[in-house]
Amino acid sequence: MKLTKDELKNIGFFDNYNDEQLKIFIGISSIKEFKVKDILFEQYDELSDVYVLLSGCLSLGISLAKEKRIRLGTLEEGQLFSWSAVFSPYISTAWVMATCPTKVLAIDAKKLNLEFEKNCEFGFKTMSKIAQTISHRLSDTRFQLMNQLTL
Amino acid sequence: MLNNKNIYKPIRAKLTNVIDESQLIKTFVLVPEDKFSFKTGQFIELSVDGIGEAPFTPSSSPLVTEKLEVTVMKTGYVTEYMHMLKPGVEMGIRGPYGRGYPVEKFFGKEVLILGGGCGLAPIRSLLYALEDIKDRLVKVILCYGSKTPADCIYKPLFDRLNSTEKFEAHRTVDKADEDWDGSVGVATTLLNKIRINIENSVAVVCGPPIMMKFGAIRLLEMGYKDDQIYLSMEKNMSCGLGKCGHCMMGEFFVCKDGPVFTYDEIKHNPEIWR
Ligand SMILES: Cc1cc2nc3c(=O)[nH]c(=O)nc-3n(C[C@H](O)[C@H](O)[C@H](O)COP(=O)(O)OP(=O)(O)OC[C@H]3O[C@@H](n4cnc5c(N)ncnc54)[C@H](O)[C@@H]3O)c2cc1C
Ligand code: FES
Repeated sequence: MKLTKDELKNIGFFDNYNDEQLKIFIGISSIKEFKVKDILFEQYDELSDVYVLLSGCLSLGISLAKEKRIRLGTLEEGQLFSWSAVFSPYISTAWVMATCPTKVLAIDAKKLNLEFEKNCEFGFKTMSKIAQTISHRLSDTRFQLMNQLTL
Repeated sequence: MLNNKNIYKPIRAKLTNVIDESQLIKTFVLVPEDKFSFKTGQFIELSVDGIGEAPFTPSSSPLVTEKLEVTVMKTGYVTEYMHMLKPGVEMGIRGPYGRGYPVEKFFGKEVLILGGGCGLAPIRSLLYALEDIKDRLVKVILCYGSKTPADCIYKPLFDRLNSTEKFEAHRTVDKADEDWDGSVGVATTLLNKIRINIENSVAVVCGPPIMMKFGAIRLLEMGYKDDQIYLSMEKNMSCGLGKCGHCMMGEFFVCKDGPVFTYDEIKHNPEIWR
């Protein structure tokens, strides 16, 4: 199943892309669905897709040992995650699990990287957005840490 | 305008109800001896006879003058004593003081409100004021974070806002319990899910100092300009009138020049996040 251009425009991450650029995303992505307790990926898995949460609920966390999952937080609709799929060594830094029926847009990361090489403007825009996502995650984590320290 | 004829003399108010909001937070419903007006975001000095006084921002609607609500977190001497008070006692009120939210500047705009912990108290008053002028606003989005679901105050407020035209309200908790199926993460994570036209928007941040800092930084990253961000600053106060200097933050008297400032006004102040 594919999203249309208009549907993509309603998702925060795809703000500021023109129609041509949205078409690139449509060509290299598909919709995936997950049930409650489905694991989208584990920490240290090799990743091939970058995801955007379309609807549903996802928890994100880290594992200390196999049995011990620490839940760090939830992802919000429209949010991009599993960005490690775009950068070498393509290994995930966290696990993500569905906590209610969930739909995500899965973007093929290898194809996305090829598009970056072909189309620098598209590549720069997308990498900037991914960098911003990582920066927000980092500052949220610092904020969370400060909160814990001052509890 | 001050409600007291003598600026140092409190007017009397009867405590008519005490509402438990969370383990550490209670709302005190007060009926002043005379009508009491304030602008949303201004603060009052509330006194307990024989104990002392402390500054609080009313959490009730600025349109209601017969009754005043103040939501108080137990943090120390005065507030601990207040938490033991029962309806029927009399208290003192001085004020209102300071500069509140310039709601007229929000006309025609989208208003994003980021709140945390007891910061929802002044925000609730602001929300009442914004509901009253909602025809002149584009939309209002509230993003609020509390430590746990049990620490979240004014729970019915969220459903009410979500069923009010032009308003949407989101909640998150730092740490979930078994019954919680909402967002988990600090308040700023909610900014990932909202859609807002930043150019035509103002943002209001109110909460604990850590949240104010990370909230302001995140809004700047999102593209807000310094003068689009309103911060409600809390500094230790005494007179509330710009006389004693207790609340000084650089060249500003927070009690008189604030407590609401734009980020632009105070960003160079080294004491801003202290
Ligand atoms: C303009 C303004 C509006 C406020 N609005 C509210 C409100 O709506 N609800 C609410 O619960 N609180 C509010 N506060 C904070 C409230 O005034 C303090 O919590 C209160 O003064 C503490 O008094 P106390 O005697 O119980 O604590 P104290 O025994 O004096 O102190 C206990 C601890 O609280 C800290 N503290 C004292 N005053 C402040 C302060 N102003 N800000 C931060 N920490 C402080 C002290 O440093 C100390 O660590 C506001 C403060 C200001 C300046
Ligand atoms: S509290 Fe006295 S000058 Fe501000």
